[in-house]
Amino acid sequence: MAEQALYKINALRHRWITYQVLADAALSAAIALLAAGLFLLLGWIVWFAFPVFWASFGLMLALHRPWRVRNSKIAGFLDKEYPELQESTGLLLLPAGELNVLQLLARSKAESVLYNLEVEHKPFAKRLWRSVLLLALSALFFMAVKILYHSQHHKWTRGIGIAEQKFPMEKILPQIDGIELTITPPAYTRKTKREQDRFNLSAEEGATVAWQIKTNVAIKNAFLLFNDKERISLKNTGDGTRWQAAKAITQPGFYQVSIDGKLSELYQVQVIKDAPPVIHVKTPKPSTYIDAGEAPQVNIITSLTDDYGIADALIIATVAKGRGEGVKFKEYKLNFSTAFAGQPKYDVQKLISLPALNMEPGDELYFYVDAKDTHQQQSRTDVFTVALQDTAELLSMDGVLSGANLKPEFFRSERQIIIDAEKLLKDKDSISVEKFNARSNDLGIDQKLLRLRYGKFLGEEDETGEGPKSSDGVADPADFSNAAKILKEYTDDHDKAEDAQFFEPAIKAQLKATLTEMWKAELQLRLYKPQAALPFAYKALRLLKDLQQKSRSYVAKTAYNPTPIKLDKRLTGELDKVIQPINKQEIKPGADQFEGLKKAVEVLEQLKIRPVLSVADNRVLQVANQQLSVRASAQPGIYLTALSAMRRILSVQKVNITDIGIVERAIQKTLAAPKLMPSTDGQSADMGLSRSYYKNLKQAKP
Amino acid sequence: MMQANWNYMVIGLCVLLAIFLLWQEVSRANKKWLWYRIIAVLIASAMLACIALPISYQKFDAANPPEEFVLLTQGFNADTLKSNANQKVFAIDGAVKKAFPKAILLSSLDELCDTLQAHSLHIYGNGLSPFKLAQLDSAAVIFHPSEPPSGVSHISWKEKLKAGQELQVQGRYRNPSAQKVKLLLKGLNTILDTVTIKPNAQADFDLTTLPKTTGKVVYTLQSVLDADTITLGSIPVQTDAIKPLKVLMLSASPGFEVRFLKNWLSQNGYAVAVRSAISKYKYNSEFINIPQFSLDRLTPPTLSKFDIVMGDLSTFNTLSAADASSLKQEVENKGLGVIVQADSTGKTSWLQKDFPLDKLSGKEVVSSLIIDGKKSASAQLNIGNTFIRYQNGTQPLVTGPQNRILAGGSIAGSGKLVVTTLGNTYTSALSGNQQDYSALWSALISKAARRDTSIQNTFSVQGLPVVGEPVQLQVASGKTSAVSINGETVAIEQNPAIPFEWNVNYHPARSGWQSLVQNGKTEWWYAFDKTDWDGVQNTAKIAATDKYALENQPGHIVTKQIHQKLRIEVPKIYFYILLLAACTFLWVDRKLF
Repeated sequence: MAEQALYKINALRHRWITYQVLADAALSAAIALLAAGLFLLLGWIVWFAFPVFWASFGLMLALHRPWRVRNSKIAGFLDKEYPELQESTGLLLLPAGELNVLQLLARSKAESVLYNLEVEHKPFAKRLWRSVLLLALSALFFMAVKILYHSQHHKWTRGIGIAEQKFPMEKILPQIDGIELTITPPAYTRKTKREQDRFNLSAEEGATVAWQIKTNVAIKNAFLLFNDKERISLKNTGDGTRWQAAKAITQPGFYQVSIDGKLSELYQVQVIKDAPPVIHVKTPKPSTYIDAGEAPQVNIITSLTDDYGIADALIIATVAKGRGEGVKFKEYKLNFSTAFAGQPKYDVQKLISLPALNMEPGDELYFYVDAKDTHQQQSRTDVFTVALQDTAELLSMDGVLSGANLKPEFFRSERQIIIDAEKLLKDKDSISVEKFNARSNDLGIDQKLLRLRYGKFLGEEDETGEGPKSSDGVADPADFSNAAKILKEYTDDHDKAEDAQFFEPAIKAQLKATLTEMWKAELQLRLYKPQAALPFAYKALRLLKDLQQKSRSYVAKTAYNPTPIKLDKRLTGELDKVIQPINKQEIKPGADQFEGLKKAVEVLEQLKIRPVLSVADNRVLQVANQQLSVRASAQPGIYLTALSAMRRILSVQKVNITDIGIVERAIQKTLAAPKLMPSTDGQSADMGLSRSYYKNLKQAKP
Repeated sequence: MMQANWNYMVIGLCVLLAIFLLWQEVSRANKKWLWYRIIAVLIASAMLACIALPISYQKFDAANPPEEFVLLTQGFNADTLKSNANQKVFAIDGAVKKAFPKAILLSSLDELCDTLQAHSLHIYGNGLSPFKLAQLDSAAVIFHPSEPPSGVSHISWKEKLKAGQELQVQGRYRNPSAQKVKLLLKGLNTILDTVTIKPNAQADFDLTTLPKTTGKVVYTLQSVLDADTITLGSIPVQTDAIKPLKVLMLSASPGFEVRFLKNWLSQNGYAVAVRSAISKYKYNSEFINIPQFSLDRLTPPTLSKFDIVMGDLSTFNTLSAADASSLKQEVENKGLGVIVQADSTGKTSWLQKDFPLDKLSGKEVVSSLIIDGKKSASAQLNIGNTFIRYQNGTQPLVTGPQNRILAGGSIAGSGKLVVTTLGNTYTSALSGNQQDYSALWSALISKAARRDTSIQNTFSVQGLPVVGEPVQLQVASGKTSAVSINGETVAIEQNPAIPFEWNVNYHPARSGWQSLVQNGKTEWWYAFDKTDWDGVQNTAKIAATDKYALENQPGHIVTKQIHQKLRIEVPKIYFYILLLAACTFLWVDRKLF
């Protein structure tokens, strides 16, 4: 009894420890979630919250040390919570020998009470509930931060564009007090206009950009210089300190601001091009073959995506009818059932019923999907083909009559089964169910017989001989001790190799495939489903026709037989009238488009050692500067820094070595690797020594 | 006399003092620690005597170590220097003097030579450059080299390239650190190639790049250790534009091979003349980028217009006797190159004598080629089943699978002969592998072409030319003409053995490209900074000094060690301490008892 009470107290102690640890964990999780929310706000990595969790959990465990709670404390807790224990639980923990009579009495009473006591979880879990509540609150906080802040954050990156953040720091002219650049994207992008206070800009193709420049002193004139060519003058809108201009951006490049004849550094203009729509056809496959008996329809499932919006999408389908020279085409334009409202992504589908396009067996359908985006850019897929099996040709007897090896009646049988099955389907409404089933079964039997007959070609077991055997097969006295005869009568011989005909492995495989199709057709017929049996029967017939074609043999045409040459007359013709043609031409190798840049490298290498620019060198660098400028107007992001460095080199007296490095790196990127061409080494000036050496060497050699 | 008297006087006085003190101690009432006190008294008086007496001992010692002359050079380790009283330490480098202040700084080695006389000189550190060693005037030297320098110890690259050739930098790097070192080849401020050297290892490295520009460019080799980038040295390279050659093609009939080769060469500005037979002694002639002349006969003046003659063997075999002999003369005496497309006509000609053909039975092989040891990028070419059997005196140029030789070269007098079995290389150009086609024919034509005799200036620089140190240049020139470097005319010295070789000594005043003008043509060479390739410079110095020390070993004069007795005075401080200890004991004893 005493042990049980002690055991119970121990169990309660463990429960208490568990709840405390859980409470600590929940509290730590709450702290970690708060920290995660904070990190999200500060833009740090959210996963840093994990170390926070473990740290606070460890700290709390170290502070609370829940495992160090004593049984006496539990006893005290029980005394406080349950008055029926009469404050004597503590006595249970003391050894019985040390207690006086009164204590023993109280102890035994407490034992029995404790034994029957149902201790509730609630008092133990009080701290845990509080922690969980805190956890829920901090989770709410985290969610709120995530939704509010993150969505805002997202909007911000989309609004300005990540590309813009790559722009380098820009230097502005001292007169400029402020700049307001308004970029109005074209309508097709469905973007609102945005403003920025920097000169480097990245705009959608066709966007209108308006500059508003505020100067700190009144200036006389100002203009923007695009790609060193185009000049856009800024208009004065108020006492010489406010100037504005606008331009539609269609191509990338760079520009400078000029104020009273003083040019600023180069600023980038990046153009975000509109990509054509992307079409992904999920079904059907590039080429589909619909067997006779299968549903004559195609389901086209397509996903369309574009960076701004899809304006329209069509299926252009062409039906090819007939064969040989009598082939006719007819084009259809099919709409998807979805209405396109300029969303950037659509998942569309279209079910095309082939008979609706007047397609008959043997006809082919070619189609592609064409999509247009809001910027009127078109893109289209490859052509997909759908072919219907030509049953008319399959059922014709043309090839069969002239066939060589295989027996024609077999084919007629499969053909006959198909014809009968189709007839049965046609009659279905006019005959009784029993009769329909019986005819279907009969066809199944025919199919089985046909299969067995073909099975013989492969040396398969002949099932026709099955059934009750007459016992007098060996009764003939002449067959006495004829082992072969007796064996034949009393053994069951299966697939006989010698019965198999000697077919090529490929033909054997096709025969086997034919038999499989026949099996399946027979199964459907026996299940009274002639409709389902038809595809298999058609397939079997097609395979058989192929087999028949393969067994044909051809004779090649004989070669041309020339008349023999008279050898004594060969090469005796008179040639004096034959003139000797002479052809002369000059081909100049194409001018090296990188010549200017290559020369500039040499000049720059010299500048590294002696940073003084001579007149001739200056001219070489000017040429390179023009080439770089052309490249910078095409790819400002890559070449603009090099171009500005080059201009600094040209303008400044003392050349900066880092500028040279920037220009050289850009040139190295631009230059193409030279081709390997034949060349010869120079002969060293040796007064003919080596030549006479080789001459003597030759003479020494036998 | 006085000394001896002094000794006796002191000893006597001290004995008297000892006796007096002993009597005092013995007669004291308190007998405790008497013996200790007696000892202390005796010690005290003995020590007093010792302090007054000049006590010394004698010792045999190697007297006066022989005079030793030490020259410290950069890279020396002060710990390895054996200190010696009679050592005289010199330095000729300010930095060394700073590191070892005891050294005497000399302005030149001449001063040292005067002081050396017959003594040998110990050199510590990385040693001296050959130029400075020459100043030592064959004085005997014992060299104590420091550890092999870390970093690049050897470096090599081709300083003059043709456009389209790869720059290959090879060297050896010693990495004594525990981290990996990354070597970067930089040019035009771009990293072109990298290699990683394992920790605690000495490894050979090989960096390549294809220079995209022509002219003079200085590449640099840098090492990265712990994100610390150090420039190891400059790699000056001159890339020359290719000078188009003049090619004569002979063909027995018009064919694709000739047509493609003609088009490829002429489009790149090469002068091409084609003579293809259309009937007996009737030819179709084509001249591209070359003035027109008659090609009916191959006379020596005609052949001398070309650098190379190409054709199939049957064409060469059907040449008239006069044409054939003039071709042979032109090749063997004037250095004309010939490329022969071998065939199985079976006739033995001087052109194919060194290149016997073998034919494999079986299918024709389709494979990629190995040109000059480098596998061609992609092209799978039908290389047929004929190949050249190797013979001594020939050089395989293009090989196929199983090292079958498809093109080989040999020398024919002063000219070159290249024989190839490949007859349908146009297919690789046709299938778009222009790169492989160019590589193949560049290799063959470059091998065979006549040496360009118009360039007459060749010169070489001895060792690594470093700024501030004398550089020796060897200029090869057929005729005597003044040589000027960086605009100043320098004196040239003819090599007594080789009449066309001239030696020039020059002191480059600043680093960078230096011009050398001779016969009105300007050539360039590069003088390195003092810090450029210091590992290479130090390795060279160690090697040179080692060699010098081996050649100038000290004479084997046995210098007998003179042994001598030495009087060494015992320091007085020990006696003072003992006296003080004894007195202290006595004083304390008196206080206690």
